[in-house]
Amino acid sequence: MSTNGKVKVATMWLSGCSGCHMSLLDIDERILELVKHVDILFSPIVDIKVKDMPYVDVGIVEGCVNNTDQEHELKMLRERCKVLIALGDCAVTGNVPSLRNQFALKDCLSRAYEQTESTKIACIPNDPVVPKLLPKAHPLQEIVKVDLHIPGCPPDADCIWFALTELLAGRIPQLNEKNMRYD
Amino acid sequence: MIAPKKISITINGQVCEGEQGQTILEIARANNIYIPTLCYMKGLTPWGGCRLCIVEVEGNPKVVPSCATPAVDGTKITTHNDRLVALRKATLELLFSERNHICPICPYNKGDCGLQHQGLAHGITGIRYPYLYPALPVDVTGRYFGIDHNRCILCTRCIRTCDEIEGVHTLDVSSRGIKNQIVVDMNTTFGASDTCTQCGACVVSCPTGALFDKAAAFRGQWTSSVQILTTCTECPVGCGLKVHTKENRIVNVWGDPDSPVNTGHLCVKGRYQTWAEPRDRITTPLIKGQPATWDEALAAIKKAAKVKKAEKALLVAPRVTNETAAAIAGVAGKFGQTAMFVGANEAALCAEPSFTGDALRKLQDADAIIVLGAQPTRDNGVVASRIRVAVRKRGAKLLIFHARKSELDRHADVAANVVSLESKLWNKVKAALAGAQRPAIVYGPNAMTPIGVTVMERLIAIFEANTGGSEPLLIGLPVSANALAMSRAGIPAVEEVGPWLDAKPLKFLHIVVGDALDGGAGLLEEKYVPALLERIDCLVVQASYKSALTDKASVVLPATIWCEKTGTVTNLEGRELPLRPVVTVAGEARDDKAILESVYA
Repeated sequence: MSTNGKVKVATMWLSGCSGCHMSLLDIDERILELVKHVDILFSPIVDIKVKDMPYVDVGIVEGCVNNTDQEHELKMLRERCKVLIALGDCAVTGNVPSLRNQFALKDCLSRAYEQTESTKIACIPNDPVVPKLLPKAHPLQEIVKVDLHIPGCPPDADCIWFALTELLAGRIPQLNEKNMRYD
Repeated sequence: MIAPKKISITINGQVCEGEQGQTILEIARANNIYIPTLCYMKGLTPWGGCRLCIVEVEGNPKVVPSCATPAVDGTKITTHNDRLVALRKATLELLFSERNHICPICPYNKGDCGLQHQGLAHGITGIRYPYLYPALPVDVTGRYFGIDHNRCILCTRCIRTCDEIEGVHTLDVSSRGIKNQIVVDMNTTFGASDTCTQCGACVVSCPTGALFDKAAAFRGQWTSSVQILTTCTECPVGCGLKVHTKENRIVNVWGDPDSPVNTGHLCVKGRYQTWAEPRDRITTPLIKGQPATWDEALAAIKKAAKVKKAEKALLVAPRVTNETAAAIAGVAGKFGQTAMFVGANEAALCAEPSFTGDALRKLQDADAIIVLGAQPTRDNGVVASRIRVAVRKRGAKLLIFHARKSELDRHADVAANVVSLESKLWNKVKAALAGAQRPAIVYGPNAMTPIGVTVMERLIAIFEANTGGSEPLLIGLPVSANALAMSRAGIPAVEEVGPWLDAKPLKFLHIVVGDALDGGAGLLEEKYVPALLERIDCLVVQASYKSALTDKASVVLPATIWCEKTGTVTNLEGRELPLRPVVTVAGEARDDKAILESVYA
């Protein structure tokens, strides 16, 4: 708990389409109720550099881990949060980004940068500034311990709201066919 | 037959009555006790592979699959407790981890996926095992459906359906352990398969999106579709259809499980050909190829029809509804000649139409089946499936007399492509039919040829001399969909349209093609017919689809298709089967009966 009595939250966007963050915003006016109880200290919509990532109570992560930067970022959040939530199918199963797991990394890169129909100059980016892709895309639980999975592509706003309010009430959210989805 | 012994078991403390031989799952379902399942499918041999239906039987330390375990009188069963639920969850997690179950991009995106449903019902959010992400192929070479092995859970429902319902056993499992995979024939593709009949029953049986209909893919959940029951009008079997629609469009066609004719099964014609193929629909009347109003078209026809009665003829496809048939009989008096065009040798088959009550069920129970001059594999897929099942699953004898080889031949005890009078052949026939208790003869158009009649006479003689056997059930099997009922309505059949046209001093010809899938183009394949049609002053073609025939017409009248019609057809069993409108009528198309009455009544 922070000094103002609010729960401190960080949200993180890894290899995902941002749809899960959109779905979080889809809780509509309930977000006003939510911010009475939480402070969002770190998020794609809060301009703070990763190196300044604060210590929080709850970390919510969208997307899977595809490259070295994301791996570093996720591990850092894990160290700095008490409860880690994998939000959405990419974070839970790998989902669409994990489709590349069936292929060798060099084949994926070659297809993307050398073989597409629109390729004019075939060149696989190799600047050291660009994070290195991992050989496979990983759901969060393969990299760090995850405390709660919320599947869905994206999870419904109601499902996110339910999970967050249950957590705020000090309960573990019980998700089932009534409040969650896989697609 | 001895009635099975009554037994009683206790499930979750509730006393449940059943019969000896029933499985625990069957008794539970009959008593409204829910046990989750994935690989179980009513009507198929239990497989016991998915392990979701596990239960505890008191006194047995192991859990047993309830779908494959016969209930024992007096036993106490538990279907849900912490141990069973934990085991089911672990099983589901293993299923999810084993392949690439990426729901958001499933072609069906169907909220009714069995695996999805069980995962959600068991509260599975994430899984405790590493995902394997295997590299698996997708086979989309089939014309109407594909298989995506990424979504397969190896429940084998498709295999059992293919084997036990369609009776062809195209599908099976290859390899061992984690490398298990569904294979088509000897590891080929649907496109290259020479046994697959494309009936699509495997797709209906698939509990996930592994097998998917191409035309239905990405059209949304079928659980939210509107389902309307109607009847297939592609052959005289008259299978019940369950048509899935969304926003006035057909998104899939399944068999009606409650139809006494086909009990949910369909062949490629009813399942796909009527809707999953691109066709050019005619939606407005055409005069000399140019769009016109109905008033203009009717005026043009009425003007051209002012010729002598003998110079006018009405030719009808043998597939219109009973109501349209009655209307045709009603307006026939205005024409010099009226006839329906049928296939070779079909006229004699329809001349004295005979209907065989409950033929399909009896055929499946027959212990000896003779197919004489018919090609059910090509023309009546569901009849062929019933024959294969009777032969392959119930040990029925199969004897085929047909000039043309067919896929059924490989299941036959005797397949005579050239019928000879050799005693060797007939001794084999006699031996195969000896002692048959429930024999059936399925006879098609070619049974009406001289050689067909000879064979029929010989067969009847064999049955008469067959001491200890029974008289055969005779099932007449025309090719044309409603020819029997149309014949009964008094419309004569003509096999060769050329000579029929040539014999008349015709100036005006009205052809009712209706919703024939070829738009009537088949007529033009007959020798001299195209030339004879050129001679006619006014050719009216009433059809649903554009074709070479409608291109030739002076006036084209757009007719409704199967899924827009109301009315009845009569199947080979004599059942009056209803047609119900599934979607609204396209453009300005009108019902065949209404068109005929507005022109000639």
